[in-house]
Amino acid sequence: MSDDVADVLRKLTVVFTEFEGRLEQMPLLRKLTRGRFELADYQAFLIGLRQQVKDGALWMSRAASNIDEAHLELRSQLMRHAVTEHRDFRLLEADYVATGGALETIQSAEKNVGSEALSAWMFHRASQPNPFDLLGAMWIIEGLGSIKAKEWGRAAQAALNLPDEAVRFLLYHGDNDVEHIGEFKQMLAMVLPDAVLAQRIVKTARVTARLYALQIEEITA
Amino acid sequence: MADLRDVFITGAGAFLPGPPVGNDQMEDHLGRVHGRDSLLGKRALRWNGVESRHYAMAPDGSISHSNAQMCANAVRAALEDARLDAKALSFLAAATTQGDYFVPGHAAAVHAELGARPMEIASFQSVCGSSLMAAKAAWLNVRAGEHDVAAACAGEFSSRWFRPSFYEGTALCDEKGRVRPEADFLRFTLSDGAGAAVMEPKPKPDGLSLKIALIDVVSLADRFDPCMWAGAPIATRADLTTSWAHSGPRAAHAAGAIALLQDFELLKRVIRAWVGVYLQKVDEGRIVPGEIDHCLVHYSAKSLRAEIVSLLEDTSGMIPEEKWHSILREKGNIGSATIWVMLADLLASGKVKRGDKVLCVVPESGRALVGFMVLEAV
Repeated sequence: MSDDVADVLRKLTVVFTEFEGRLEQMPLLRKLTRGRFELADYQAFLIGLRQQVKDGALWMSRAASNIDEAHLELRSQLMRHAVTEHRDFRLLEADYVATGGALETIQSAEKNVGSEALSAWMFHRASQPNPFDLLGAMWIIEGLGSIKAKEWGRAAQAALNLPDEAVRFLLYHGDNDVEHIGEFKQMLAMVLPDAVLAQRIVKTARVTARLYALQIEEITA
Repeated sequence: MADLRDVFITGAGAFLPGPPVGNDQMEDHLGRVHGRDSLLGKRALRWNGVESRHYAMAPDGSISHSNAQMCANAVRAALEDARLDAKALSFLAAATTQGDYFVPGHAAAVHAELGARPMEIASFQSVCGSSLMAAKAAWLNVRAGEHDVAAACAGEFSSRWFRPSFYEGTALCDEKGRVRPEADFLRFTLSDGAGAAVMEPKPKPDGLSLKIALIDVVSLADRFDPCMWAGAPIATRADLTTSWAHSGPRAAHAAGAIALLQDFELLKRVIRAWVGVYLQKVDEGRIVPGEIDHCLVHYSAKSLRAEIVSLLEDTSGMIPEEKWHSILREKGNIGSATIWVMLADLLASGKVKRGDKVLCVVPESGRALVGFMVLEAV
């Protein structure tokens, strides 16, 4: 692997671990780790996550549509990725219903302040020509899927004694992600070396992490 | 203001009490909680990779040394390695997780054992990272010209805390009398001993000295709850109104607030946080992995999960395993003392040549802290 890819991966890892530390301090997640998590918290959590999950495949598709002919392989990867994930929010809704929540409630819930900011940011970046910096955003969001989701799912299940069908989204995400880092390295290698872009990827990761944390911070039961 | 001086480790010493105790004897040594074999012990030993360790406590409960005595012995060994008399010492920094006393500080107890002469002392209480806190104090004192001969020592007498009486009759045992894994794991992980280093503003006239290039200690306690602790029950540990001192010794014991405990789920997150801090140091150029000839980490590579190792490789942060020097297998995990015992062992191995760089990494799960020390052999 090239040094350019390793350098960006290192900076992205630092951003992600800082993000994890920030998550650790979020009131909702403190409840989870300190044994004060209630069903209403879990339901609010699913509602809060749904907005970004629903938008995820959409901004990825928009980003793909802005990738030029010189980068067709990257465009294909993003499109495949979008297809894989674009129905995930339905799973999340089913989990919500399995906890005893009403489908209309989760479907009609408004985006919270953090979700608004995150969503606006993602679509803004995805609307730029060749928005390769979104690889930084994917690093954060994929990292959540592969590292945090399963942790949260298991802890919530244990805390609330939930049936398996109420935690499928969080647990399923964790299973699906081992090959993603390999895929991610390949995507980075398609656009690097490029010093300006390398910096931009890391910056986009940092902004995305901050806004994602804001989204979680704004979740209240 | 006078210029800062270069500082050199001119002596390193270790003290390990008694003969090595193998895995097959260790449970006899500590005693069995409610007379039952541990459920977790074998798995814990496989995970931590320890095959032999030392205890200052005999199976009958008698002790060969106090924590302070072990530390004083390690300081004497380090002074001897530096070929200095104890009376040359004017600053002593002492570190431990659990000292012989609650009050006063560990350094006072070590100084009392050491004798020598009146001197400046400083006590550092944390977990493994207390070693580098003490090292930094000694380093900066010599560096600033306050002292010409300083010692940093660290010692642990963990086995005392692992006796069955620390768990029996407490909330840490289930109805069948089995100890909770949060408590049991550490019994199979930590052991006793001490280590020390002597620092001076010039290298010793012959033999190797180690110039201290940096000591960085980073705490992430602003974000993480306690991960390894004693003094509060498991569930409410972040709420200090439930700490042992608040509820009183008897009630605290019954609540399981006295024994040393470890949260494994949190540990996984803390390990990633350590990796993040390390990679940040690499990214800033504070640590250059390619320049490191010897890496002392008191985690075994095999206990780091494979994905962490591959992450380090992917980010140009990995130091090849053949450069790792560890005492874990033969001498155990001695908490704060480990780093000095490893350093003394590395120096005695003859592997270090002039110009070599040594990276010491001291992770402390306590409340998520990690420290680094870079040394250059001169």
